[in-house]
Amino acid sequence: MNKTLHVALREFLATVATKGFLIGMLAPPLMIGLMSVLMPRLLKNDAPKIEGEVAVADPTGAIVGRLEAYLSPAAIAGRREATRKRVEAQTPEALRAVAERAGVAQANQALDAILGDVPLLRVVPVPAGESLDAAKDALRQGEVADGGRLAVVAVHADAIARGEDARAFGSYDLFVRAKLDDRIEDEIQDGMREAIVDARVEAQGLDREQIESLTRVPRVRSTTVTAGGEKQTNQLLNLLLPAAFMGLLLISVMTGGQYLLTTTIEEKSSRIVEVLLSAVSPMQLMTGKILGQMAVGFLILALYAGMGVAALVSFAMLGVLDLSLLFYLGLFYVLAYFLIASFMAAVGAAVNEMREAQTLMTPAMIVIMIPWLLWMPITRDPNGTFAVACSFIPPINTFVMMLRLTTTTPPPLWQVWLSIAISVVSVYVALRVAAKIFRIGLLMFGKAPNFATMLRWVRMA
Amino acid sequence: MADAIVLEKVTRSFGEFVAVRDLDLVIPQGKLYGFIGPNGAGKTTTIRMIMSILFPDRGRIEVLGHASALEAKDRIGYLPEERGVYKKMRVNAFLSYIARLKGHDGANLGRRVSAWLGKVGLADVAGKRCEELSKGMQQKVQFVAAVIHEPELLILDEPFSGLDPVNMRLLRELILEQHRRSATIIFSTHVMSQAEQICDHVVMIHKGSKRLDDTVRDIRARFDPRTILFEPLDPGASLAPIEALPAVRAVAQVAGVSEISVREGADPAQALQAIAAAVPPARLELRRPTLEDVFVQIVEGEEGATTSLRAALRADAVVEAGA
Repeated sequence: MNKTLHVALREFLATVATKGFLIGMLAPPLMIGLMSVLMPRLLKNDAPKIEGEVAVADPTGAIVGRLEAYLSPAAIAGRREATRKRVEAQTPEALRAVAERAGVAQANQALDAILGDVPLLRVVPVPAGESLDAAKDALRQGEVADGGRLAVVAVHADAIARGEDARAFGSYDLFVRAKLDDRIEDEIQDGMREAIVDARVEAQGLDREQIESLTRVPRVRSTTVTAGGEKQTNQLLNLLLPAAFMGLLLISVMTGGQYLLTTTIEEKSSRIVEVLLSAVSPMQLMTGKILGQMAVGFLILALYAGMGVAALVSFAMLGVLDLSLLFYLGLFYVLAYFLIASFMAAVGAAVNEMREAQTLMTPAMIVIMIPWLLWMPITRDPNGTFAVACSFIPPINTFVMMLRLTTTTPPPLWQVWLSIAISVVSVYVALRVAAKIFRIGLLMFGKAPNFATMLRWVRMA
Repeated sequence: MADAIVLEKVTRSFGEFVAVRDLDLVIPQGKLYGFIGPNGAGKTTTIRMIMSILFPDRGRIEVLGHASALEAKDRIGYLPEERGVYKKMRVNAFLSYIARLKGHDGANLGRRVSAWLGKVGLADVAGKRCEELSKGMQQKVQFVAAVIHEPELLILDEPFSGLDPVNMRLLRELILEQHRRSATIIFSTHVMSQAEQICDHVVMIHKGSKRLDDTVRDIRARFDPRTILFEPLDPGASLAPIEALPAVRAVAQVAGVSEISVREGADPAQALQAIAAAVPPARLELRRPTLEDVFVQIVEGEEGATTSLRAALRADAVVEAGA
């Protein structure tokens, strides 16, 4: 046993204490962190601060004034402030505190500070008598930054009042300068829509506010009613939580498994294996290696799961997580890992180099991908016949069970434990088979074996 | 004294090919045994069976009083023919790891590793990664890994392959030192001269069967010398008078020296006198048979292709010496 632990310890240290591992493990969370800070800035929806002129050919005479009001700097700033307030109202308290502390508090700027940031768009009418082509000519000269004409809007004559027999209103044409920021164009389009609607409503002698209140039905958040009580449905979370748990399970299991495969092949191809076998039995060697890499996978699991829990705590959303799920995550990790690991150990011992392993790995990879294909159907109907059946088929049962456990309607306990029992049995069988292939494969050099050869070894041993 | 290793009627085949056939072998404790034979004779298979890395199809094996080497692993040191190191591991960490796997409890382990590295002239690479070492250096590290736990039984499979003459001599000294510590040592080689230099006792294996199992001295005594080395006093002298002698079977030129084979049944002492009388010699000596000669003589009885066999053995020896 002592020797097995020495093998496990070396395996763990040799894997973890490398630059590659540290980078590989820390990179994903760093990327996510970086993205969550950078992306909102890069994808800021606010139109940039530029100066320019929007010329409007307006045969109806009702548009220019309204568009001018909509595009005035004060109006733009006002809309931004409103958006900010709405976002803030939806942001959880904890995150707001974090955001403010981190200095991302730009959002808290006063209205006049925002005012300094908005585009200055002058709305001018195209003088009567000037042709549309002449108005567009200005768009061909100079640059966006010159502060000249940015766009020309040609309002259709029937945009506001339609003919007696016409079913539809007219609209408008928009001509813009090359390289005009699409967010400026969005502002203009939004302004035109607003101006036209407003003018049409007024032309009909109706009350705009009344129409809006008549047509507004907000989308509500549903409340999930369960035996345990009622709680607000969080659709996104309901989908993401299972995916997160299964993803964690898969990443940690595959990382440990991959390392196991690599180190086994390395030991075999560098011919160190015979030295090792003179000191430990093949079974001790395999057990030690599997345990060592299990610790590696567990480290990853603990780190990522820990970060997830920390994030939930900071969002004050720990309530969505039933802590017993973490227990099952650990348990299913061990079961799923042992199954994958026995496969990896057998393949690693059987082949001579990584390239040969790829051929044998393909079917395993396909099996591993199955849970991802099942994610949606199982999360939608976690207690359907299909989901229940999949929970009892190794090697995917652990992943499927993890999915089902994290949905809003977890499976009955007997199914969970039946699935665990099936896993335990399959792990036992897999380890025994793997041990035989491992023992024979380690000292077999030469032609790369296929599954048939490996089966023969199992019968031989 | 008890026997370190006992093999009784051990047979092992790989498919159709019988690698070892009905091998009987007894190696007493404290002896230095050489396993010799050409490549593919069955040496490594025998050693792997002694180590319980392979298992015999038939027969009984006893190692250090146990039915299997698995029960005595920590008392055995093993340098396999196929040997390697963890490329990324540091030399001292690698040796400590192997020592621990061999049951060392870790007390003073660091000091022992340093002492051994100093002994093989590798003190300054202790902190380097194994992949940074030359092949010869790696081989010395592997030897240290085999002896660091002071085993009672030391099994070395082709320990000299790939070493330069200086390191070959160093390794020979280290093996003899282990012998003086009264460890039982088995080492295999296909280069007979190496076995001749250090072994008390030689076991010769050919085609999976034992052909010879005796002390080096007895072997030499048993195979009486039939080769005379001759250099004429006058380098230009004709050797025709020698070839004409009735006791002489043939004269061959090997590296500037004439090797005169004495006819079967003729007395070598009289042949020496006759040769000296025929052509005045600058050098005239009765060559003692080497293990190679003995080996060739044994195999000669069963096959015709002895020249190629001898050439193969020589070629390997030259490669070994020149490496």
